[in-house]
Amino acid sequence: MSAPAPAQEFLKDKHVKFFKRCLQVLPPQYSSLDTSRMTIAFFALSGLDILDSLSEIEADRDNIINWIYSLQLLPDKQETNLDQCGFRGSSTLGNSSDPDKARKAPIPHDSGHIAMTYTALASLLILGDDLSRANKTSILAGLRKLQLQDGSFCPVPAGSENDMRFVYCASCISYILDDWAGIDMPRVLDYIQKSLSYDGAIGQGPGLESHGGSTFCAIASLFLMNQLEKIIPRKQLDRLQRWCILRQESGFQGRPNKPVDTCYSFWVGATLEILGIYDKTDFHCNRSFVLQTQDDIVGGFAKWPGHTPDALHAYFGVCGLSLLGEPGLKTLHPALNMTQRSVDHLETLHRKWRGQS
Amino acid sequence: MHGRLKVKSTEEQKEAKRIEQEKKLKLYTAATEEAFRKRKDGEYDDEALKVSGEILYRNSDFSTMWNFRKEIFLHMNDNKNEDELQELFDSELDFLEACLKYNPKSYGTWHHRCFVLDTMPRPDWEKELKLCNLFLQYDERNFHCWDYRRFIVKRSQVTPEAELEFTTNKISSNFSNYSSWHYRSKLLPFIHPDPSSPAGVKEDILLQEYEMVQNAFFTDPDDQSAWFYYRWLLGRGKKTVGINCVCCDKIHSKIIVSTTEPVLVPDTVELKVEVDGSHMPMTWRTASNNIGYSNLWISDIPEDFKISGSCTLTLTLGGSSTSCSCELLLQDDSTEECYFHKDTPAIWFRSELSAAATTTLKRELDSVKELHEMEPENKWVLLTSISLMKSLDSHSYEDTIMDELKTLETIDSHRTSYYRDLRSKYLTENILERTDLSKRCLRLRDVGLTVFYHAKLLPLLVELDLSNNRLTSLRDVRHIYCLQRLCVDDNQISKLQGLESIVHLKEISIRNNEIKREEEFQFLRKCPLVVVNIAGNPVCDSVNVNSVLRNILTGLKKIDDIKIS
Repeated sequence: MSAPAPAQEFLKDKHVKFFKRCLQVLPPQYSSLDTSRMTIAFFALSGLDILDSLSEIEADRDNIINWIYSLQLLPDKQETNLDQCGFRGSSTLGNSSDPDKARKAPIPHDSGHIAMTYTALASLLILGDDLSRANKTSILAGLRKLQLQDGSFCPVPAGSENDMRFVYCASCISYILDDWAGIDMPRVLDYIQKSLSYDGAIGQGPGLESHGGSTFCAIASLFLMNQLEKIIPRKQLDRLQRWCILRQESGFQGRPNKPVDTCYSFWVGATLEILGIYDKTDFHCNRSFVLQTQDDIVGGFAKWPGHTPDALHAYFGVCGLSLLGEPGLKTLHPALNMTQRSVDHLETLHRKWRGQS
Repeated sequence: MHGRLKVKSTEEQKEAKRIEQEKKLKLYTAATEEAFRKRKDGEYDDEALKVSGEILYRNSDFSTMWNFRKEIFLHMNDNKNEDELQELFDSELDFLEACLKYNPKSYGTWHHRCFVLDTMPRPDWEKELKLCNLFLQYDERNFHCWDYRRFIVKRSQVTPEAELEFTTNKISSNFSNYSSWHYRSKLLPFIHPDPSSPAGVKEDILLQEYEMVQNAFFTDPDDQSAWFYYRWLLGRGKKTVGINCVCCDKIHSKIIVSTTEPVLVPDTVELKVEVDGSHMPMTWRTASNNIGYSNLWISDIPEDFKISGSCTLTLTLGGSSTSCSCELLLQDDSTEECYFHKDTPAIWFRSELSAAATTTLKRELDSVKELHEMEPENKWVLLTSISLMKSLDSHSYEDTIMDELKTLETIDSHRTSYYRDLRSKYLTENILERTDLSKRCLRLRDVGLTVFYHAKLLPLLVELDLSNNRLTSLRDVRHIYCLQRLCVDDNQISKLQGLESIVHLKEISIRNNEIKREEEFQFLRKCPLVVVNIAGNPVCDSVNVNSVLRNILTGLKKIDDIKIS
């Protein structure tokens, strides 16, 4: 008798433990991510949410919410620092963890970061918070400051690279806050349109090579703006679908002729889900590849089979499986990149806010 | 951090590693604190460069630290002479090169390099281009480096022609360099522009490109880079927009317009209506109420605008490149008037080709077929061959196209459903082009459809037969505004969503499908149904369908051929 094929079992409990560890202590390999601790927390929290296991951290819930709010840079009394506002990635810069103290004793060069603001707001929603302590006016003022002449966004007011990733963050922030006043819409739409490439997919910016990640960022942004079919006519959508569908080899690759990688089961998978044709892909092979990258000792997923798992790939591995309808996993909202349960909570908040105003 | 291979280590190694890491962490934390102190105290000196450099070399994602470094240089820029600055920036470029060798995919490092080049007194663009060449040798797909290269070209005297030459060389040494083909697609329309051609490139240049790309795919037909590029070169032009059909429904006070190409009203075209010469204000929306391009637009006739007696309704479609109009004579006693464009739908789904273009496409098809002989199971060859045949003549090549799609279903199993849908689409297009739609009746039975395409072109159909296919949804049927009789017997439909807005639907036959829940019947609530055939659905075994339907549909006369008393 030949040896049985290795079991392709989804080890839910191990992943729950993996994400819980991410919230507590991280190995030294993560030190380069110290300045963006917020994103790691988001991966862990949203991961636990998809695994339907938020109850595991119930005791720490309030602490985590307070920690996230401590990362918010609030306006000073005279509102001279509105441009800087948003959420920081961590307290590395040395701001006080008490929001009031931090407000009274500002430290120079302190500012929000667009990806941290997005993941902070998303994490708060996942934890069931009502965003009542999020200072919307200043977050939107901070956002406005980050949009460049070409329509794209950079992550920090002090300047940095600018591309489609931050357009996506800006879209999520605006959607969550139910207010698009922080974005100059015609300019950002122009940027996205100019980033369409000859092969039908979308690059990080105009003239740049198509990529699964930037394609997701652009398509999800257009979807959240309710502008998808206005910006990309049918025939271009057909070509885009073809490019995305052809990215499947077993799992998905991010660009033609590149190796398949766990995270693209989400980036490309979610794009196809938004475009309504995810069911045209090969679920069986995709699931099989993602599970090959599962670490059956410590939990989590890696980029490739046999490699060390990390928070990002663990999260997107779980997302990919949720898109495939893995039993025991909660449904994912493909554009907002969080569970439908959390999005339902957001919709309830939106109705409340709209009723009040 | 990603993609680290797992390595087993002994206890001793682990302990040594732990001690070493602890030491590193201490140094790192101390350096970070020192850097922040210096920034706070405005100490923009050599020491600040050294400390921030130590951190950034290890952690190039630290954007705040890059910004500190930028401030130091801007400070020194105001306080040193040109030669000193040149030397300082030169050594910064060396430092950045070391950082890039450690992490060639750091956004922060490449971005800072752009800042240095833009700030230093005498940038050496030639040297930068060489650096790009070097890094593209290490990894020819590193998009950070390609993007940086485009930055250099924009700033310096490098000609696009020289860059095109560079991509030619890159491609000759490795055909599968997708990034090079991409760059070419941007350079060609710039160097050899021809706005009238679909790819925006001059005809004689296109011919040269065909040759180059054929070399590539004959050498390695499994490589998709060349195929995507080829498909772009072969792209067909935009078609002009026209009115396909119009319906004025006096009972429901609506005007429905279908255009030959998707349009965006009022952004890309305007739709104007006049009744006996006087302007009627309309509020156009798409059938699905989405914001976006559509072939199908609907507007209510304004309440205060009385259409009485016999009159002439004129509809004008006007855009930057098109303008056309049609007339409907509304009789006093009629409830509905329709207009069909006389030429539709003979060439809805193809662009008209010039003699020269036909010759080119035929020649290209011959080459692809030749390759197909050698590589009968290559999906890229088949995909391209189908696309070429479709552009040339989808009718005379119909059987071959269908056969090749069938082959694709088998050899490329990841995309079986996708190819089945494509087959449904192409088949429907051919049948539509052969049907006289002014009869308002369409039969698409027993042709293996998995999806029903192009409903937005068919709002005036009164009768539709989709029986005996593999359809799972009726979602798109909602666009057939005038539909009265629908037959979808023998499919795999489990949901009735899509029928809720068909206000004229009198007869529906949905025998032998997969309807399981009686809640689905709620979608029929607003249809004036007289006849329903429902036998052969799982729901019939679990509930009394007769009484459920009679409750919902008060005008019902017949269920499964039995008269309701």
